[in-house]
Amino acid sequence: MAGFSIKTENMKDAVLVRVNGFLDAHTFEQMENTINNLFNDNVFRIIVDLNGVDYISSAGAGVFIGAIGTAQENKGNIILMQPTAHVKEVFDLLGLSQIFHFADDVDSAVKILSS
Amino acid sequence: MGDSGGASLEIESKTENLAKVREFMSSQVSASRLEGTERNKVVLAVDEAVANIIKHAYEENLVGRISVSVLFDPDRFEVQIQDSGKKFDPNSINDVDIIQHVKEGRKTGLGIFLMRQIMDEVEYSFREGHRNQLRLVKYVKPKPKAGSASGVKGA
Repeated sequence: MAGFSIKTENMKDAVLVRVNGFLDAHTFEQMENTINNLFNDNVFRIIVDLNGVDYISSAGAGVFIGAIGTAQENKGNIILMQPTAHVKEVFDLLGLSQIFHFADDVDSAVKILSS
Repeated sequence: MGDSGGASLEIESKTENLAKVREFMSSQVSASRLEGTERNKVVLAVDEAVANIIKHAYEENLVGRISVSVLFDPDRFEVQIQDSGKKFDPNSINDVDIIQHVKEGRKTGLGIFLMRQIMDEVEYSFREGHRNQLRLVKYVKPKPKAGSASGVKGA
């Protein structure tokens, strides 16, 4: 079974969160805790690298639904970077692609955060 | 040709077993005539259904069994999911207004919303003293025949 891991990297004006593995009803709480810890540290400009996420279910997507409002209320945002086609499809099915910004790389994600 | 078939899987109602369900479903959809993108979606729908059973029928902390049975033929792909948890009818959950959901930061109901979007039939039954049964059906879309790509009929 693929392992699940989350790594955070501090950048100049944002935090990059790299996620690997399955983001499902079993692992979503780790993602939720990571985001909540960032909020507790007053970090609201968040880039989530989804390139290593093989699978996402509604529980995983739900983490970002629950968090984007708080990020935006605090002049930040959550930018989703490089989702695989399968992961992006789940966001499309949920109608979330009209709400979230998707970026191809860190530079584009930072630009979106700054716009 | 391998166009018809099926198999069953039984798991304990723990979220760590969802990966097993997906693995099982991946092998089943791969043996069927469902197309590539539809295969992924059906795996997702079943994952969502089982995750809901663990969360609602077994209320996360109760341990029970969940069985997933697949039966497919060239025209349809059917999944029956049974559990002995408390009554939980996914049809009792309203569809999601995603904009409102995001505004309110709500995360519930999304799995059922996905399940309904993906599957052609979602049928729930509960027999007192027995078990919850959820039947999900996806019809195999007919592949376009050579020379009929325009879809013009009755010319």
